[in-house]
Amino acid sequence: MLNIENLHVRVGGKFILNGLDLEVGAGEVHAIMGPNGSGKSTLANVMAGRDGYEVTEGRVTYDGHDLLDMAPEDRAREGVFLAFQYPVEIPGVNNAYLLKAALNAVRTHRGETELDAFEFLTLVKDKMKMMHMAESFLERGVNEGFSGGEKKRNEILQMAVLEPRLAILDETDSGLDIDALRIVAGGVNSLRSPDRAMVLVTHYQRLLDYIEPDYVHVLSGGRIVRTGDKSLALELEERGYDWVQEAVNA
Amino acid sequence: MTMAAQRGSDRKLSRAEASFHDAWRATERGTDPISNLQRAGFAEFEASGLPSTRVESWKYTALRTLSRRAFRVSGPVGAPTAEIVEGMAIEGLEGPRLVFLNGRLQQALSGSEDLDGLGIYSLSDAVSDGLGAAAEILGQIADPAAHPFAALNQAFLEDGVVITVAPGKTIAKPLYLLFISCPGGDPIAAQPRIVVDAGAQSHLCLVEHYTGIDEPDNLTNAVTEIRGGAGSRVEHYRLQEEPAQAFHIGGLHARLQRDASLDSHNIQVGAALARLDIGVSLEEPGAELRLNGLYTVDGKRHVDNHTRVDHLAPETRSDELYRGIVDDRGRAVFNGKAVVHKDAQRIDAHQSNKNLLLSQQAEVDTKPELEIYADDVKCSHGATVGQLDKNALFYLLSRGIGEEVARKLLTYAFAEVVAARMPLEVVRRRLEKRIAGTLPESDLIREPVGGDR
Repeated sequence: MLNIENLHVRVGGKFILNGLDLEVGAGEVHAIMGPNGSGKSTLANVMAGRDGYEVTEGRVTYDGHDLLDMAPEDRAREGVFLAFQYPVEIPGVNNAYLLKAALNAVRTHRGETELDAFEFLTLVKDKMKMMHMAESFLERGVNEGFSGGEKKRNEILQMAVLEPRLAILDETDSGLDIDALRIVAGGVNSLRSPDRAMVLVTHYQRLLDYIEPDYVHVLSGGRIVRTGDKSLALELEERGYDWVQEAVNA
Repeated sequence: MTMAAQRGSDRKLSRAEASFHDAWRATERGTDPISNLQRAGFAEFEASGLPSTRVESWKYTALRTLSRRAFRVSGPVGAPTAEIVEGMAIEGLEGPRLVFLNGRLQQALSGSEDLDGLGIYSLSDAVSDGLGAAAEILGQIADPAAHPFAALNQAFLEDGVVITVAPGKTIAKPLYLLFISCPGGDPIAAQPRIVVDAGAQSHLCLVEHYTGIDEPDNLTNAVTEIRGGAGSRVEHYRLQEEPAQAFHIGGLHARLQRDASLDSHNIQVGAALARLDIGVSLEEPGAELRLNGLYTVDGKRHVDNHTRVDHLAPETRSDELYRGIVDDRGRAVFNGKAVVHKDAQRIDAHQSNKNLLLSQQAEVDTKPELEIYADDVKCSHGATVGQLDKNALFYLLSRGIGEEVARKLLTYAFAEVVAARMPLEVVRRRLEKRIAGTLPESDLIREPVGGDR
């Protein structure tokens, strides 16, 4: 589904990704781990199409299309979803409006009819229950005054409503207490399906106790330096990132 | 001849000034109080003329186009039908309504309603009754020496309204003043005067709405004077939606006594050139002012808001929030001044002006000013000029929302901060609707979704 080949990315004159390769198939869950500054968030942002990242080499295909050639909104409509590390607050626009506008944009693109208010509410209330969110969240400004945990839950709620084919979760576990982590992980797990791929970008192994990945990759110096199964994450937790870096240098 | 008048007579008059001088000379005046006020007004206008950009408070607002137009101070107007008037009015606003055409009160189009404690008199009736309490307000709060357009308005003082609220009375419904500008052959200068006397412990909600039909190239020069008695509360809305060729100049001047409050909501979305001067004196302890403002400027339009609050007494508070959206080649000017006088201790004065620039050619000149002559005060001020938040824009795009809609949505969100502070729902909704414009299902942006609750 997603194929990244030899990706080089420069941010403000500095190379952050230096020849990254990654292949993600439908139904798979990949965890990308790495120390701070290894390029994890850069990878997530480049996939979603954020400005300010210069791809100097390499290619990314999504379902055979050149992903880098698509505008961010087109990527979203084609089923790519980024759960933000720092979700943005937009006071004055309520959550329900954003959810509905986003959902209808995706549905229209797929050639489906837009949902009416009743259908939309039925759908969204169901998903909110799963995320343990009170219905009053619908009427609040987008992420306005939300706690860190509420913002992350809201990201997963959006994902649950939009049902993307490729979800990239950028440090979704950061800033979560254990209860919130369980809820978020529960939401993510319920969205696992044979035709959906997920990429979890994380610093800590903790999240992977709740969302079991099929593959674990270690990112270091802008490249994937090691790939394994979930046991690699446990080994990292025990021995630290220096161990991988030393093994690469050796 | 006074020195001032002498200075005035040395200048070459602009076409607009000459038209006002001619109109002045064409009318006889007596020795009654109104004639005296008119005379004093004209003397000030003759001395100052139309302000040039050399005058500090008019530095960024040039009146070239206005000054080249000759105005008539009154003239026949084609009377629009009640249906047309209804179509221009704020939908859903209940209560007494006074309709003015080119500044002239139209009894036939107005709908009166007896509300306990509310007195409404046309200015001409008040004049023939000897003014009464209005004499202490009319021409006494809006200073013609400080404001050339207030002087001009005073010189041609004829029509308008005197509003009184009896002490202790809460007026149950908003009082709606609808000013409609309409073509009258030549450009017309409509110069209504609104006088408000809010008695002690009274409560009034007043809506001034300026609009127009059939694209007149008129000038509206409206002046409002408010005296807020002890413990009174006045909620004032000023919605300026004039046609694209119109000039709109306004003044809102108030004096607040002990524990009185004024909430001013100033919305400027129309006219080729608009300027509003707000001046409020907090004269006694406990007086409180909230200034809430929103302006949108596009095309080659120009909007200027000048506000000034004088903290004359201790324990007075003022809080100002103004936001502007400036697009195309539009230009916005903001000047907010708070003066804390000597001995006005333990006061709060806060001011914020934020501007959203939506194009490269748009321009904003903003200047918050604080003058403090007391030492125990809490003051803050800030002004920003910026573009749409890139992170917020990307967030919306990454959810599949198209760029055009995303930009409009964020622009709406920027303005909504001001709209949210307006308790009068029908006005707030009208504003939100206008700003949301062509956004899909715009009525849902901040309302609960769904009809099933």
